[in-house]
Amino acid sequence: MKYDVVIIGAGPAGYVAAIRAGQAGLKTLVIEKRYTGGMCLNWGCIPTKALLESAKFYHRIKSAASFGVNGIRTEELSFDWEQARQRAMSIRDRLVKGIEYLWKKHAVQVITGEAIIHSAHEVEVNRQIINTEHVIIATGSKPERLTIDTKVPVFELEGMMQMHSVPSRPLVYGNGPVAWEMFNFFSLTDSQPVWLIPRSPVLPGLDDYANDFVLKRTRKEKQNVIYDKQWTLKGKTLSVGDSKYEIDGIVNCSLRQAVLPPMDETPVLEEGFIKVDEDFRTSIADIYAIGDVNGISNLAHVASAQGLYVINRILGVQPEHLTGIYPINIYSEPEIAQVGKTEQQLKKSGIDYQVSEYNLLANGKALIEGNAEGVLRVLSETKYKQVLGVLIIAPDATDMIAEATAIMELEGTAYEIAHIIHAHPTVSEVFMEAGLVAIDQPLHK
Amino acid sequence: MKYLFKFPDIGEGLTEGKIFKWYVEKGQDVKAGDPLVEMETDKVVADIPSPKSGTVIKTYGNIGDTVQVGSVIIELEIAGVDGEAAQAVAQEKPAGKTEHQVEEKNFGVVGTIESAGEGAYLPSSNEGLQSMPETGAPAPRKVLSTPVARAMAKDRGLDINQIKGTGPAGRVTKKDVEQHRGAGAIFAASHKAPLPDFHPTTLIEAVPLTQMRKTIAKNMLLSKQSTAHMSVMDEVEVGELVALRDKYKAKYAEQGIKLSYLPFIIRAAILSLKLHPVLNAELDMENEQIVYKKYYNIGIAVDTPEGLIVPVIKHAESKSVIELANELADLSARAQERKLTLEELRTGSFTITSYGSIGGYFGVPVINYPQVAILGIGRLSEKPIVRDGQIVIGKMLPISMSVDHRIVDGAEVARFMNDFLGFLKDPLTMFLE
Repeated sequence: MKYDVVIIGAGPAGYVAAIRAGQAGLKTLVIEKRYTGGMCLNWGCIPTKALLESAKFYHRIKSAASFGVNGIRTEELSFDWEQARQRAMSIRDRLVKGIEYLWKKHAVQVITGEAIIHSAHEVEVNRQIINTEHVIIATGSKPERLTIDTKVPVFELEGMMQMHSVPSRPLVYGNGPVAWEMFNFFSLTDSQPVWLIPRSPVLPGLDDYANDFVLKRTRKEKQNVIYDKQWTLKGKTLSVGDSKYEIDGIVNCSLRQAVLPPMDETPVLEEGFIKVDEDFRTSIADIYAIGDVNGISNLAHVASAQGLYVINRILGVQPEHLTGIYPINIYSEPEIAQVGKTEQQLKKSGIDYQVSEYNLLANGKALIEGNAEGVLRVLSETKYKQVLGVLIIAPDATDMIAEATAIMELEGTAYEIAHIIHAHPTVSEVFMEAGLVAIDQPLHK
Repeated sequence: MKYLFKFPDIGEGLTEGKIFKWYVEKGQDVKAGDPLVEMETDKVVADIPSPKSGTVIKTYGNIGDTVQVGSVIIELEIAGVDGEAAQAVAQEKPAGKTEHQVEEKNFGVVGTIESAGEGAYLPSSNEGLQSMPETGAPAPRKVLSTPVARAMAKDRGLDINQIKGTGPAGRVTKKDVEQHRGAGAIFAASHKAPLPDFHPTTLIEAVPLTQMRKTIAKNMLLSKQSTAHMSVMDEVEVGELVALRDKYKAKYAEQGIKLSYLPFIIRAAILSLKLHPVLNAELDMENEQIVYKKYYNIGIAVDTPEGLIVPVIKHAESKSVIELANELADLSARAQERKLTLEELRTGSFTITSYGSIGGYFGVPVINYPQVAILGIGRLSEKPIVRDGQIVIGKMLPISMSVDHRIVDGAEVARFMNDFLGFLKDPLTMFLE
């Protein structure tokens, strides 16, 4: 039997591509080493956000009395890691079942095992040779291995999701959204985490404003953040100048590296990732690479979009090229979300731009929810006021960013933002207010 | 009642005009149909008639001012009604200062606008809401477009309806506007080339372009960019035609008719076009079809002090040589005075340029786009030719022709030329059929 397409890896790039391929009637095989749903479902997007939701709930319930809810004895509150983890895993199980159901429905076949790519038309798995027209590599990425000599356990998110207890004084190692989320998680649940940021910036790819916000906030909360300083780790002791921190575990949130499947011929790589063209083709004909493994982005939604794109290509449809307008979300407290260009990118490109800001402190709904920490910033060019970038720091920023993304995808300007009627009271009103600022008609300012 | 009259859209894609002459002044009574102002537009000087009877309260703009279509040009008092508000509207929008008159609300689409917009007229009844005669302009087609594309098109003076959209469902995107190379974009594009560094000295003089020169420039460039020009040249011995014309010239001159060669040439061209219809056609790329025209409206290039103008002899196929001669004389005289109407410049299907009357033998004429062919007639001259093995003096007429090779192939032009030259060589054949 010959397949039309063999997809290696069942994360958000591979599993989405498989569903679409099955729907389109392609004979489709997915080969996955271990996890249906990949990192996203098993230890990334879904479980970590579920853990953060537990942590935010735990943190928030401490202020129940101020909302008029009596009977919560805050001194008796404690965070149950195992229960939070199991809740996360049950969400994972439900979603994995969903994917498996959809695969079955669309006649996608699955083999569990490690694939070896002999050529674009021959893939080996479990000592069996599979013939195919196309191969899609969607094997994802993993954090760089930590080379620190230490006596404490070192684990990554993948391992952490298997653990029945977690350290109470963990060292979160790494920069980027995942590190910040993990540090935030431990802080919210009353652990004593230390965040070691080995290199700048704190959040690569995000606006300096967001980076400054995170650093300032940790400083204000007097949290242990090691940034831009010399440090040494001996045994369980982290020394930074005169300060010493005792740690009992390290969460490795290092920058990610491509996971390359075994291949007879390695396609051209770029900084360790598989190099692809704008149609996600590798240097070997009929072999595509999508998701983290091509190094373009390590966001699940971008991986899925690439998966759909490649299946369209294989079907002979010339899809619209991906616009590059997609949100980057961080599920910390408060959430941080960004779409489009950063202020630094605009400065560098020489575009005349303006920044229009609106603070959540002046927003009714944010005050009602007792969560008015945050800001919304619209970056627009000055001539037509086309929106080029939006940064939101707010409790529900990760959902609010959808409006900004839609405006940008439709090439909207600040005039549309200002003229779209936003319901009152909602936190989304800050978007309209920032739009009014952009067109020099500030209202509540 | 006060009545605000706006510079109407008189068609042909004109968006502005220059005030050439005021016929009326403040306090003067006018009747409906009386000329109010003479406007110089792209192609013609046109009288703008008053749509209403009344008294002139105010005129907007001085001679030489540029007026956008849609700007208020005059305010009339119409007996028996009053309306302060009308005046208020007029104050806001005087002519000559209203660059963005065509578009008032947000990023509206630049397009055909009504001759009298909302609030231009505050009637006590519905009377007068239509302030100008029907222009025949088609209703604007609304295209999908993104907000920034609309802003950009407005900024560049482009009609977004004319831009091909490549976005979802044909949406016009920013990229489409940036890549648009329509007639309106030509001037914008030409600015991108480095301009010569002109410092005012006594050695040079910078003269602003007239409306007409701008239009000619646009049209010529549009033709060259939109068609695949190909030219052929030949000459024909027209001794018999010369004899024929000489025979009747004096007779018609007595009747005040100047009989030139051109009416004969027009007749020969029409007969040849009938044999080769693709040269009297138009290419419709959007619908991927050739539109053959069953009428022969022949444009005649006329040189005027302001520049080239091309009036059209409508249904020339139904006119005799003498009728053609009469009409030529009339159109040409009025072109010189710029007294042609817009209608007389429209709907040509084929063009003849007779530059030989000034000088020149062969030329490469530019097609009057969207037509597909143009005929150039050079100077008639005597040349030695070989006839029956003898060198004799021939009366040679050089013919040049440009066609749009997208739909007319070389062989077809050659066949057209054979027929056309045949008619000129033996002119009686033109009258036998």
